[in-house]
This record gives sequence, C-alpha cells and structure tokens, in this order.
Amino acid sequence: MPPSGGEALARLREVGEDPRAEARALRDRTGAAVVGYFDLYLPEEMVMAHGALPFRVPVDGRDAARSSEFIQGFACPAARDILDQALRGELDFMEGALFTRYCDSLRGVFSVWDAENLTPFVELVRYPTVTDTEEAVEYLAAELREVSGRMAESLSVPANDRRLAEAIDACNRKRGLVRELALLRMGGGISISGADYLAILNAGTVMLPDEFTSLLSALLGDPPAGAQPTGVPIILSGVTFDNIQLARLLEGTGLHIKGDDLSSGSRWYGIQVGSGVAGGGKDANPWVALARAYLTKPPCSVKEPSSPRADHLLEQVNKAGAAGVVLYRSKFCDSEQVEWPYLRDRLEEEGIPVTLVEGEHRAAGFEQTRTRLEAFREALEDEDGYGEGGRG
Amino acid sequence: MSARLEATENLKSLIKKYYNDLYGAEKEGIPTAWLNVGVPCEIFYAMDMFPFYPENYAAAAGSMKLTPQLSAVAEARGFSADLCSYVRTALGTVIAGEGPYGPLPRPTVQVSAMNSCIMIMIWWRAVEREWDVPTFVVDTPLVEKESTGINLDYVNSEVRRMVAWVEEKTGRKMDLDRLKEVVRLSNEGKDLWAETLDLRRAHPCPITAADIFTHMFPMVALRGTPEFVEHLRLLRDEVKDRVERGFAAVPEERYRLLWDNLPPWYDLRLFSDLAKQGANFVIDTYTQAWGPRYMGEIDTVDPLRSLAGYMGSGFLNVQVEKRYELLEELVDLYDVDGVVFHSDRSCKPFSLVQVELRRMLQDRVGVPGLILEGDHNDPNLLDRGRAMSQLDSFLELLEGRK
Repeated sequence: MPPSGGEALARLREVGEDPRAEARALRDRTGAAVVGYFDLYLPEEMVMAHGALPFRVPVDGRDAARSSEFIQGFACPAARDILDQALRGELDFMEGALFTRYCDSLRGVFSVWDAENLTPFVELVRYPTVTDTEEAVEYLAAELREVSGRMAESLSVPANDRRLAEAIDACNRKRGLVRELALLRMGGGISISGADYLAILNAGTVMLPDEFTSLLSALLGDPPAGAQPTGVPIILSGVTFDNIQLARLLEGTGLHIKGDDLSSGSRWYGIQVGSGVAGGGKDANPWVALARAYLTKPPCSVKEPSSPRADHLLEQVNKAGAAGVVLYRSKFCDSEQVEWPYLRDRLEEEGIPVTLVEGEHRAAGFEQTRTRLEAFREALEDEDGYGEGGRG
Repeated sequence: MSARLEATENLKSLIKKYYNDLYGAEKEGIPTAWLNVGVPCEIFYAMDMFPFYPENYAAAAGSMKLTPQLSAVAEARGFSADLCSYVRTALGTVIAGEGPYGPLPRPTVQVSAMNSCIMIMIWWRAVEREWDVPTFVVDTPLVEKESTGINLDYVNSEVRRMVAWVEEKTGRKMDLDRLKEVVRLSNEGKDLWAETLDLRRAHPCPITAADIFTHMFPMVALRGTPEFVEHLRLLRDEVKDRVERGFAAVPEERYRLLWDNLPPWYDLRLFSDLAKQGANFVIDTYTQAWGPRYMGEIDTVDPLRSLAGYMGSGFLNVQVEKRYELLEELVDLYDVDGVVFHSDRSCKPFSLVQVELRRMLQDRVGVPGLILEGDHNDPNLLDRGRAMSQLDSFLELLEGRK
C-alpha cells in the first residue's frame, strides 16, 4: 500500500535532514558502492551506470575546525565543510569521490582529498567551463567516457549501456517530479514549507530514484492538508542551501521560501537528458546527451556564459509571485561575489527588492542574520504591490 | 643591500614605451586586447594587435600602494572586499577612471583563459558588464600533469575558435608566417630567460627575488617582439657576468630559500630586509610559470597547437603531484635550505595546496617549509611584524640544521 502524502513527506524530510545517514544505510542495505560528488554539474547517471550509488555530499553547517589543518581559512566554508566531514571519518562509507572544476575552493579540497587518500578512489573530471559550444559538449562526452573507464577499474564494474539508459530515465523522472512540485508550490497549489522543499531536494540526490519518485508521487497525489505557509514569499538564490535547520531559522523570520534559484534546486531539476535537445542524431549517444543536458542547464556563476542565470532568477520571481529575493552567499565565494552587483542591479531594474546574506551555512550564530532578514521582511511588507499572494 | 641590475634602466624604458603604445593604440588604429597571463601574447602580436595584461597593471598599481584606494571604489560598487586584490585594484580603475598611469583606455576585446583561476574569467566578465567590451573565454579544463589526448584536442579547438572570434571582432587576420616569426623571437627570448633562471643556481646567487620579479614584465607582455629578445639578452649577460665575477646579491649568503607564489608587490623590501640576515630567495615557483618546464619551445610547424599545449598544461592548470615535482626539483637544483610558502589570500589555486606541499616536501626530502600569510596586492592583508617574526624563527630553525 503506497504511503499517504503526509507519510511520504515525513520520510522525505527525514532523509533530507540527514542525507549522509541515508547514504550509509543504502550502502548497508544494497551492498553497492557509494560514490560521492559535490556539485550539480556531475551527472549522477554516470555513477548509476556502474551499479553504484551516487550521493551528493551536503554542506551540513557544522564547525570545520579539522579542515584548517589541511587548507587555509580563505577557502569557501562550504568546501571546507565537505572536507571536514571526510577528515572526521563521516564519509568513510564512500568508495569514491568525483570532483569537477566547480570552483577554486573545491579544487583545493580535491587536492587535499587526493593527497590524503580520503576515499579509495577520487577523480577530477576535467570539466569544461564554457557551456554553449558544440565542442564543449563533444569534449565532455568523451571525458565522461574516460572517467567512466577509470571508475570501472576502481569499482570493478564497467559502465553498462542498459544501466546508463535506465539511470537516465529514472533521473529524468525524478527531476521531472521535483519540477512539478516546485511549480505547484510556486503557484500556491500545495502547502509545503520552504524548509521541507529544500529537504526534498536533498533527498533527491541521495535516495534511490525509484524510491524517491514513488514517495514524491505519493506526496503530489495526496498533498497534506493545511493552510498555505504564511510569510512573505521570496526566492532563495545562491549555490546550494543544504542545512534544513538554517532554512527553518530563515523562514522563522517571517519569510517564506516559495521558490529558488539554487544549483541544487531550480537550476538542477530542469535537466532532462536526451529530450528535445539540439544536436540531431549525435544525442542518440547517451554520453553526448548527458553532456549536453548538464552543460545547458541554467548556469552557475562559475560557468561561461553566466548571464542566463539572471534571466532564470527573474523567471523564478515571476513564477512564484515573490516579493523579493534573498541571495545566500558563502563567504569567500569568488564567483558569487562578482555576480552580486550584476544580479542586484538586474533585480532592482525590475523593481524587485533583494538582500544579500553572507555566511558559513551554519545555524549557530544566526542572530545577526535574523535581525537583517526581519528588517528585509518588514521592508517587503511595506512595499506597494505586495499583497497576500505576493507579487503577481 | 644588493646592487641594482643595470638592465633595470632598459626595463624602465620598455615599460614607458609599452604604456605610450597602449595610450596611442586607438589613435593609430591598433586594436587592443586585454588578456590574462595564460593567454599567449604571441598570437596577438602576430595579428598586429596590442596585448595588454591587467594582472601586470594591477601589480604595478600594487607596487605603488594604490590597491587600498582603488579597492574602496570597487567595494562601493558592491564588489566584496574578500575578492582577489588584483581584481579589486583593476575594477577600481575601471569604475573610477583613474590608476597609476591615468585612466585606462577601453580595450577592443577581452580574452581570458581558464588555466589559472576562475577569478580571471569573472573579473573579465565584470569589466565586460561595466564597459560593454566583447569578451571571449578560452576553455582549458584542468589536467593532472599535462594536456594530452582529448583534452589537448579540445584546447586546440578553443584556441582556433578564439582566433576566429578575434578576427571577426577586430577585422585583423591571423597570418601564420607572421606568427612563426613571432614565435621564433619568443623562443629565443625564453631560452635567455631559462638561462637567467638557471644562473641563479650559482653560489653565491647573483640576483635577488626582487630582481627577478621586477624583470618579469617583458616575459608577460612582450614575448615575440625584438625588444623582448634584446632585453632578455641584456639581463642574461649581466647576470652571467655577475656569476663569473662571483658577485653575491646577498653578501655573506647563508640561507638559500625558495619563494612559493606571487610576491607582495607592495613590499618587495621584505626580501632585502631578510637579506640582512644572509637570506636570499635564490629561486621561486612563480617565475617558473614562464620557464622551460611550463612554457618551453613553441613548435614553429603548428604554433597554434603548440601554444594550446602550453595553455592546457599551464602552471596552475595541473594538480598537486605535478606542483610537488617542480618544488622537489628546484630544491635540489638550487640547493635550497627551506621553502617559504606565501599563503596568498588572493590566489586560491596557488595557495590552497600549500599545506599539502609543505608536508610532502618535509616527508619526502626533509626540507622544511613555512606558511606565511599575506596577499600579493593588498598591504592590509599582510601583518608585517608577524611575518618578520615568523621568518626570523624560520631562519633560526634553518640555522639549527646547518
């Protein structure tokens, strides 16, 4: 008997609050190798093609003191947080780790990871930065195949075309459902808090896709009853936002995360591999299809070109009828630091209020941020044009 | 403390002429290209363009201690104070319309390559937004040790894509024969640079770290020009003469050190202050980026592919083991007693592997290292007193090992 919507949400919330525990449990339950990754440009389907379990390591927002023995404090705290988890032995269930050249801080973490042998195997995918050329698509496809070849040796399991095709289908399905949920939330058609939504995003990159899909289907088919979340609707923008406790504190200021512009959210769930893309017959090759889909998603600021990101953000604001935008930025995040004045100006040109919160993904020490966010909420409440349903 | 190189006078005139040419380019109808140091100027000289390196310019501003005031301009615009100090310096110049040599003219095009840091790309992006300048990114995905196979093919295709783009934006054409001539001059000058670096192996070392850092400008911006070869020959001859005379850049040289990372441009006196204790940085990793291990002879048969190979295998485009191999080789070749790792807050790719490098060096060859916190352009990020105290302690440690 399928779970009720409420039961499904409770399970997704539980997983999303502690994805690491779920990854470990999955490894114990299935006996399959767990391969961790750290950014959403890495196609998890590639890991699944080897019969392994992909696990996006979340930033858990705890003290990253241990990492300071290995990497300087001006590395981004999200990157240091991930390194710290590995150094504390909390990722010891992982058989391997896959890095891309996401940013210079994660690159530094890769160096330490590699030198300290923090997992039995570690790979740096020689990932393109340019995302809008056919050459980049073909190169990435070839690179993914090469990495897959090396993974086959490490995991003693070669990639299998059938498994890759199944993985692509399963991941397309799960991302499609997340998109459906997100659109429903933005349209006010389902009553789920922003913190729960972010927990579901976390769950989506650790659970077995079929299990996740069936839970999400149950949730969408039998939405929990209850009033719409209160609070001033905002779009949460940034890179990732994995700390659910921090999300609850943010919403506790009277803001409601009604939609997002996160690499782990709306810039991820739109990925549909091999459907309706350019390139003609080449995309019959699943590696080319994978490369194209991941390169052409709404970009992060570490990619070129990045300007579609601003358009994507504005689109989310409009879809959600959001009253404003909260941009959460990791301290020392170079690309978001440069992107900020541009995004701010683009939003303000459209009359959309925005505030910047810089932090280390920790719930501890939230007081100062709380004061600022409450002031932002009050300013939004005073805005003309903002009513019960937000901008619209 | 040390005698100044006579070649420095020639360097000054080269820099003066370079900036005169920059400011005169528009009048002369010469398109200008802003490049990062990972983009070879040879290609642009071959296209009769003027290549300009904002990193070099920012360093010049840094050496004049202008970074804090220019940074304040960038910060007022909304750019973070935590950004690379080169970026803050240059953006301050762009926004304020002022700098060490007056306002910078707007370039015709900008080209960056990914072979050093993400920061370069986003810096150019910020300028593109401020000034509406056509901007191109040459993709050079990170490699483990060397760009080969599909990676080299991709970077090669990127270089050709860039040339076609520059041709379209500027109307200038790439003339392969002209490129081959530029490359021949570049190879000639780089050989002289390699020889100069090699001469630093002498006991006593003939020059200081400040000398070599000061003379980097032609290596960055003038490769492939006749005056480049001429200057490098002057420099090599003078350094060679010093070696033959047994000249000690640091009298009573006692500690032979290696400097890792960019220098603090605003405080090259740090090196002369240490020289008072008999310490000389006889070699460094930064200038190696232009040395034979990372920028060797360019093939004149297919120069674009050869340049693509160097771009893809650039000093900061490789991983920790390759970085370590260089360190170990230099420590051996230059008879180094200890390594100072300048933990440069403005250069993550250079700095974030240093803790590992120090450990590897200590474990594998028993050479000690010091991590020294600082910044290449922002004097506010170097605690001078603390740094000198750490360096003094490090020299004491080295003394104990004599």
